[in-house]
Amino acid sequence: MIQENVEKEKSEETVVDFNAIDASQTHQIAEFKYDVPLTTLRTDPTGRFAAAGAEDLAVQLWDLDSGQRRTLNAHKSWVRSIDFSSDGNRIFTACWGGNINVWDTGQDQPTPLLTIQAHRGAARFVRVSPDGTQLATCGNDLLVKVWNLADGKKVHEFCGHERHVYGVDFHPDGDHLVSQDLMGGTNVWDLKSGKRQRTVDASVMTGYDNKFAADMGGARDIQFKPDGRQWASAGITKVTNSFAGIQDPIIVLFDWETGKEVKQLKATDDNVKGIAWGVRFHPDNFIIGAIADRTGKGELWFYKPDEEKAFHTMKLPSAARGLDLLADNRRLAVAHADGHLRLYRMTAKPPAAEAPAEKTEAEKTG
Amino acid sequence: MRRNQGCNPIEHVMARRQFLAGSAAGAVGLGVLATPTQAVHLKHQQKRILQIFLQGGVSQLESWDPKPGTVHGGPFQAIPTSVPGIHISELLPHIAQRMHLLSIVRSINIKINDHELGRQFMEKGRRVGEFPYVGAVASKYLARPDSELPGYIHISSRGLTDAAGGAAFLGAKHGQLKLEGVKPPSNLEVPTGLEATVDAGRDQLRLQFNRRFGERRSKALTEAYDASFQQAAKLMSRKAIFDGTASKKDLERYGTHDFGRYCLLARTLLENDATCVKVTHHGYDSHAENFNFHLEQLGEFDKPFCMLLDDLKDRGLLESTLIVIHSEFGRTPKINVRYGRDHWGTAWSIAIGGCGIQPGAVIGKTNDTGTEVTEREVDAGHLFHTYLQAVGLDSSTDHDLSGRSIPMGDPAAQPIKELLA
Repeated sequence: MIQENVEKEKSEETVVDFNAIDASQTHQIAEFKYDVPLTTLRTDPTGRFAAAGAEDLAVQLWDLDSGQRRTLNAHKSWVRSIDFSSDGNRIFTACWGGNINVWDTGQDQPTPLLTIQAHRGAARFVRVSPDGTQLATCGNDLLVKVWNLADGKKVHEFCGHERHVYGVDFHPDGDHLVSQDLMGGTNVWDLKSGKRQRTVDASVMTGYDNKFAADMGGARDIQFKPDGRQWASAGITKVTNSFAGIQDPIIVLFDWETGKEVKQLKATDDNVKGIAWGVRFHPDNFIIGAIADRTGKGELWFYKPDEEKAFHTMKLPSAARGLDLLADNRRLAVAHADGHLRLYRMTAKPPAAEAPAEKTEAEKTG
Repeated sequence: MRRNQGCNPIEHVMARRQFLAGSAAGAVGLGVLATPTQAVHLKHQQKRILQIFLQGGVSQLESWDPKPGTVHGGPFQAIPTSVPGIHISELLPHIAQRMHLLSIVRSINIKINDHELGRQFMEKGRRVGEFPYVGAVASKYLARPDSELPGYIHISSRGLTDAAGGAAFLGAKHGQLKLEGVKPPSNLEVPTGLEATVDAGRDQLRLQFNRRFGERRSKALTEAYDASFQQAAKLMSRKAIFDGTASKKDLERYGTHDFGRYCLLARTLLENDATCVKVTHHGYDSHAENFNFHLEQLGEFDKPFCMLLDDLKDRGLLESTLIVIHSEFGRTPKINVRYGRDHWGTAWSIAIGGCGIQPGAVIGKTNDTGTEVTEREVDAGHLFHTYLQAVGLDSSTDHDLSGRSIPMGDPAAQPIKELLA
C-alpha cells in the first residue's frame, strides 16, 4: 500500500500535509503498462485491485500492492464495463458480445465462475447491487436486465428504450435503477414493482450529425452519489462533426427527486472536443470527470457542485477511457488509450526526497 | 483478351447472346411483341444495375472481411452465413442469411485514400481522365430507347458533385438524374393554370430556340439542356412513381427511415424500367467512434437492402439485375485514439451479386491482420470490367462513338473471370 503516514514538509513559512486531499494538486504517482489500448476500468471497493478492459479479448487485473498483473481470458469480444463485489473477491465483466462473466479475484489464473448470456448484441454496462446479490446490465437489444448472482438467473427484464442502452446504475436504496440510451432517453425502473417508474430527459447528451446522417450520444459512464440525491452521466453534447470526433464532452448531474438536470460540467477550454468517459462523486463534495480529447490527449476535471467552472483541470498524457476513485479517496485510477493504467493522487506532491515509498517500479513492471 | 472483334457498331458493345435478348426486349416497347407473358419474360431479360454506395468508406473489418480477436479486429464477432465457410461481420445478420445470393471481393487495392479520387476510380474504372461512370455506360448501352425513365437515377439524401452527371463523352442524356430522397425532382409539375396545349407550344418554342442557338455553337451546349428537358418529361409521365405511398407491409419490412424508403423507391424504379439505380447510404466516414457508427449505420442498411434483394429475387429480376455494394475505399485496420478507423484503399472489400455473377464466392484474401492483400489483388479497373461483362457488355471493346476510339474499360485491367457466371 501507498504509505498513509502524514508526511509533512516543514519550512520557515508553511507546513504541508501530504495526505490532505487537495484536488488542485493532483499528480501522477504510478503507471501500469499494457500493450493494448485500454477501454474501461474499475477498482475494487477494498482498494486491492484495478481491472481494465482493452482493445482485445482479455481483462487485465492488477494487484495494487504488488503491481502484479493477471490476465482474465474468456470473452470473445472487447470488454466494455467492469464492476467488483463490495469485498473485492468477485469481478463482473461485460463485453460487446453480450456476455457477463463472473470471476474470483483470489484465483491465480481466474476462470469464469459463471457466464451469463445477457444480451443480444453488446452488453454495454454492468453494475452490482448495493447488497451484492444482483447485477444490472444493459445492452444493444434495448433491454435492461437484472440477474440473481447466486444462480445467474434473470430477475427482471425491462423494455422501453428505443435505442441502444449505454449505461445503468443502481440507486443506493437498492430498489431502483436508472438507465440511459443513445438518444438520452433515461428511464427509472422500480425493482419492487418491476415497472418503469418515470422517464427523464437527457437529450442534451445526444446529437444528430447532419452531414453524416447519424446519431451520437449515450452515457459513457453513470454513477449515483452515495447519498442517492443525484446521479451523474458522462458523455457528449453539441455534435458538430462526430465522425471526426468533434463534439463537446459533458457531464450532467440529475436530481433524483425531480428527475431534472441540475448542472452541466463542461471543458474550461472550448477547444477541447471529445467524450467524457468517466465521472465520480468525491466524498469531499466535488465531482471528478475524465475526458478523451479528439487529439488523443486527456483531461481530468474537478468541479464543485455550486460553482460554474471547474476549480481545476489537469491535462493527461493520453485520452482517458475510464475513471475510478480508490478506497482511500485520495487516489484516482484512469484507463488510458495508450495502454497505461495510471494512478493519480489528489494531494500535494511531496518533494522527491520525502516522497512516500510508492512501489512504482513494481507497478511499472506489472 | 478482347472479345467480339470486328462486330457491327451495336454488337460492338454487347455480347451476342445479350444483344439478341436486348433487341427483342427493345421490340416490346414498339409493340411488336404483344403477349403479356412474352413481355414480362423479355422485361426480365433486360439487364439493369443496382448500385448501393456506402458513402464515406465502409469498414471491411466491420462488414465483409472481419478479423475478430486479432490486433485490429475491433469488438465485433464474425458470424456464419448461408454459404458454408463464409463468415461476415455480425453487423450484417440479414445479409448473412442471403450470402448464397452474393459474392465478396476481399482483395481490392486501389492505392487511393482520398474520397473524391476513390469514388471516381470506383465509378469509372480509371484513375484519371474523363470517362463515364458505370451507370452512364449502362444507360447508354442497356437502356431501351423507349424507356419511360431516365437511364441512370441516383437516390441520395444530399448532393455529391459529379461532373456531367458521370456521363463524360456519352452525353448528358446518360448522366445521372439525382433524386433528393424519395421526392420527385423540383419543378416537375407543369405550372398551375398552364394548359397542355400552351405547354406544348412553349416546348416547341424552346426547341426552335435551341436549333437556332445550335446552328452557331457547339452541339454539346444544347444537348445537356435538351437532355434535362427530356428527363423531366419522362419523369412527368411517370410521376405516379413518386405519388405512391408505401404500403404498411412494405414499411414494416423496409423500415420507415430514409434508407428504407430509398430502397423501396429503387425497387419501384427497377420494376419500371430504370436501367441503373444508385442508392447512396451516407455515414461511414468514421474517423471517430467507428464501432458505434458502424453498428448504427450497418444496422440501418442490412435489413432494407435484404428486403430489396428478396423482392428482386421474388419478382424474377435478380437474374437480370447486377447488384454492387461498394464504397470509395475501406478503413484502416489500425484503430486510432478516437476509436476511429481512417481512410484505407490498400486492402478492402465489396459485395456483388445478381446478373452474371457467380454467387456464394469469395475472391481474394487479406492477411491475418487485414493490412495487405495476399491473394488475387484487384483494383477498380478490374471491377469495372467485371460489372460490364456481368451485364453482357464487352468491356474490352471501344465505346460506340463515331470517329473516336475510346476503350470502355481500362485496357490495362481485365474482368475477374472467376466471379462471372
